[in-house]
Amino acid sequence: MTPSRLAFAAILGKDLRTELRTLQSLPAMALFAVTTFVIFRFGLDRTSLSGSLGAGVLWATLLFAAILGINRLFVAERADGGFDAIRLAPIDRTALFAAKAVALLAYLLALELVVVPVFAIFFLDSAAALPPLAAVLLLADLGLAATGTLISSMAVNSRARDLLVPLVLLPLAVPLSIAATGALEPLLAVGGPGYHRFGTWLAVLGLYDLVFLLVGYAVFDFLLED
Amino acid sequence: MPALPLDEAGKYVAGAYVVFLVLIVVYVAIMAAKVQRIERELRELAAFAEARAVSDQAAPGRESEEPSISDSLAPHGSRGGGV
Amino acid sequence: MTSFGPGLRALSIATVAALAVSLSLVFFYAPLDADQGFIQKIFYLHVPLSIVALVGFVLGGVFAVLHLRSDEARWDAHSYVSIHISVIFGVAVLITGSIWAKASWGHWWVWDEPTLVSFLIVFLMYATYYPFRYAIEDRTRQARYASVFAIVAGAFVPLNFLAVRMAQTLVHPRVFATADGGLPGSMMLTFLVSLLAVGLLWVTLVRFELTAKSASGQLKRLRRALDAPARGDAPRIAPEVS
Repeated sequence: MTPSRLAFAAILGKDLRTELRTLQSLPAMALFAVTTFVIFRFGLDRTSLSGSLGAGVLWATLLFAAILGINRLFVAERADGGFDAIRLAPIDRTALFAAKAVALLAYLLALELVVVPVFAIFFLDSAAALPPLAAVLLLADLGLAATGTLISSMAVNSRARDLLVPLVLLPLAVPLSIAATGALEPLLAVGGPGYHRFGTWLAVLGLYDLVFLLVGYAVFDFLLED
Repeated sequence: MPALPLDEAGKYVAGAYVVFLVLIVVYVAIMAAKVQRIERELRELAAFAEARAVSDQAAPGRESEEPSISDSLAPHGSRGGGV
Repeated sequence: MTSFGPGLRALSIATVAALAVSLSLVFFYAPLDADQGFIQKIFYLHVPLSIVALVGFVLGGVFAVLHLRSDEARWDAHSYVSIHISVIFGVAVLITGSIWAKASWGHWWVWDEPTLVSFLIVFLMYATYYPFRYAIEDRTRQARYASVFAIVAGAFVPLNFLAVRMAQTLVHPRVFATADGGLPGSMMLTFLVSLLAVGLLWVTLVRFELTAKSASGQLKRLRRALDAPARGDAPRIAPEVS
């Protein structure tokens, strides 16, 4: 294994193990999401959701819960000198970007593993839409992982740390949100999952993921310079 | 889309162009303030430089040297040169 | 260090002339639109402003790339000023767009104009540029992170337009047309002249801003050389050029 791949595996492993052991972010994110569902139930005065309403509630909740986790992504690196270690090591610095993005993706998938079934139990009539829904969320999470890692790595070195991520990430996530809810809406239709423009929306999601993974890869080196 | 009669439509079109004009004028005003500030600073610095030139002329070779240079170059008893 | 002042007067004169010609064409030469009538005249202002603002945002990203590769402060200044002026133009786009929406549909905002909605989102994205810069204290880091932001936002712009356009099931045709359809030459000419005028305005304002920054930077240099006491009112964002 090249030193970069070793570093990637080491950082990823450390992150996942820490999260598993300390459980700092995931339970909070999941609780936040479930409570938000309850707020929506009363706010919208509905006991079942479908179509665009269902897609919107699900995606908005997941997005805001994700931001909670994204805020904390680089906190340990900043506190314990992880950035300096990467800077000094003779490896490709984008290993840090890749490791953090994959870690964030893992958190988002773990979050959805809990939150989506809860959403289905609370608001849906059938679980038929869940498999294609999972595919949509996977692609959307990739985009969120790329942009979230990028913004979080900059925000952690700033003054208004926890403010900066929501501020900058939300507009950035608009195209992602449009495509994700565009695909989810027909899936959650009352009569059963529909696939109107499903392929097109997945293509848009894929394009978004590709663009920001590439941009992140190209730019991350400059973020670590000092 | 129905075409509004000229007197009504005219107000909106005029409004749009007025907004444009106002923004330009506001920008010019902000630039004017910046230029004024720069001029003020420049005047201060010019006065400061002149005052310094005058005091240099009044006491040549005394205060004009940087104190740091004389510190490092001039030999002092216990410092400099030795171990 | 490049000086931004030379050519500024000629540029300003050219801009004023172009704006004057464009306004004359809009009100005395271009024919009335078949559907929208006089309201359509707003487009000669609104659309060039939006095109120039978007090009300005993309340029901000290009200058950011130059800054990251060369590590020269002046490219950061170019990037910042391009984005700054484009945001101001963006305000004008949204206000003129809103006025047009009110005149055409009776509401101050409509969600079914995909270009206007996309522009709103782009504007919101770039509006976060200022608090983002302000939050990073170290100046070199601030410049570097700002460049990254400009590049990410630049990549975001086309994606955003694509996504919003796809979300519209019914796109209102925005037509520059007379009764027989298509864009008549006279309207096209007026539009192009207006586009040129607004583009020149953007370049002039950017140059103005860069000159002012450069002058402030030189003053700082002078101040330091004279050992004069420093003033405390240095801007905490916005790059310094010297």
